[in-house]
Amino acid sequence: MIRLLFLLSIGLYLSACNPNRSDITGKMDAYVPVYATQNEIQQVSVEAQQPTVNAAKIYAYRNYIFQNDLYNGIHIIDNTDRNNPKKIAFLKLPLNTDIAIKGNYLYANNYVDLVVFNIADPAKPQLVKRVNNAFPPADQQYPPFKNVYFVCPDKGKGTVLRWELKNIDMPKCRR
Amino acid sequence: MKKIIYYLLCGVLLLSACEKDSPGLAISVGGGAGQGGSLARFAIVGNYLYSVDDRNLKVFNITNAENPVLEATQNVGFSIETIYPFKDKLFIGSATEVYIFSIADPAKPQKLSSAISPQVITRCDPVVAKDTVAFATLRTNGPCGGLQSVLAVYNIKDITNPIQTATYPVGEPYGLGYSGDVLYVCDKWAGLVLFDISQPYQPTPINISINDGTYIDVIPYGTTLICWVTTGIILYDITDNRNPVLIAKIN
Repeated sequence: MIRLLFLLSIGLYLSACNPNRSDITGKMDAYVPVYATQNEIQQVSVEAQQPTVNAAKIYAYRNYIFQNDLYNGIHIIDNTDRNNPKKIAFLKLPLNTDIAIKGNYLYANNYVDLVVFNIADPAKPQLVKRVNNAFPPADQQYPPFKNVYFVCPDKGKGTVLRWELKNIDMPKCRR
Repeated sequence: MKKIIYYLLCGVLLLSACEKDSPGLAISVGGGAGQGGSLARFAIVGNYLYSVDDRNLKVFNITNAENPVLEATQNVGFSIETIYPFKDKLFIGSATEVYIFSIADPAKPQKLSSAISPQVITRCDPVVAKDTVAFATLRTNGPCGGLQSVLAVYNIKDITNPIQTATYPVGEPYGLGYSGDVLYVCDKWAGLVLFDISQPYQPTPINISINDGTYIDVIPYGTTLICWVTTGIILYDITDNRNPVLIAKIN
């Protein structure tokens, strides 16, 4: 019980004092939403191979490997010469979080839409179907961290793509 | 012991012959993005694509592959995180509960049991199943609690009544997969850890050290071991499944 009280007091202490806050400039570190409009989210394209940023789920298909780059899209890797695997393309798919493959078709989410690509030529996925609003929107009304300050999202500006930590004037929202 | 059902949720069954995927592990990746935006999760079984979002299970008929047709939407609960097909069942997990659906009729999932609320494990853990044995990594860091992360082994001849047959301490385990009689376990501390599973209910550690990155999950794919690491992918030649040989890193 004493330990619990001790932990509680530490928690109170931490929540009362934000070490990132600077009283001199009035600035502090806080999360700022990065928005995307419906048009930007649906900008699906096949691009040149690029470095992996947020390595996520992998999927093996024939001699190819697909790797989700969380919220960005899908890296496509040709493993035909297994001593020399090569990234051959990047399928830009904003807010993509999961993929599944059956036959020559890749199923993925593009934010709230279900999209289907023909991958008979894995280097050139072709969008063949979009099912609008197959999934309800995720809750992005706050950053995925606790005990942080953040700029309150403005729905009029679009969907919150992600959060960036910036040094700004103290924002109104906190969790 | 019904907790095993819970462990089964996040894992992946590496059963399909030519297409394999890694489980949708709930891992926060990178600094800018996080779990807050987690969206749909998919599983394909036969001619159906099952997806879970925040609270619904949706059934898409993909008999016509280019034209998925939504056939059913079922409200499952709140904060659904995972979907895991196992034989003719779907296990659907939230942070606190597990729902079991039969997909004997694939277009109409039937809820078999409502929920299991493990008292100790508060999130799902990866698992792979091989015939009548299941291997699960039970991680204790983060919200999971507990004293020691383990590789746990279960006899699942009766899926509703799994029996734990062995546990082995591991550092901070994530995904796992097997090729033949070797089990590969991703351990954030020790790297890739190998077990001999020729006696599947009683695995024995193989004394080899492989640590080329921070491993999150593996797909044994023919003679190649595909590893999801925090920087991308690492490939190993597992022609000799007890002795993975580095082929390439893809960043």
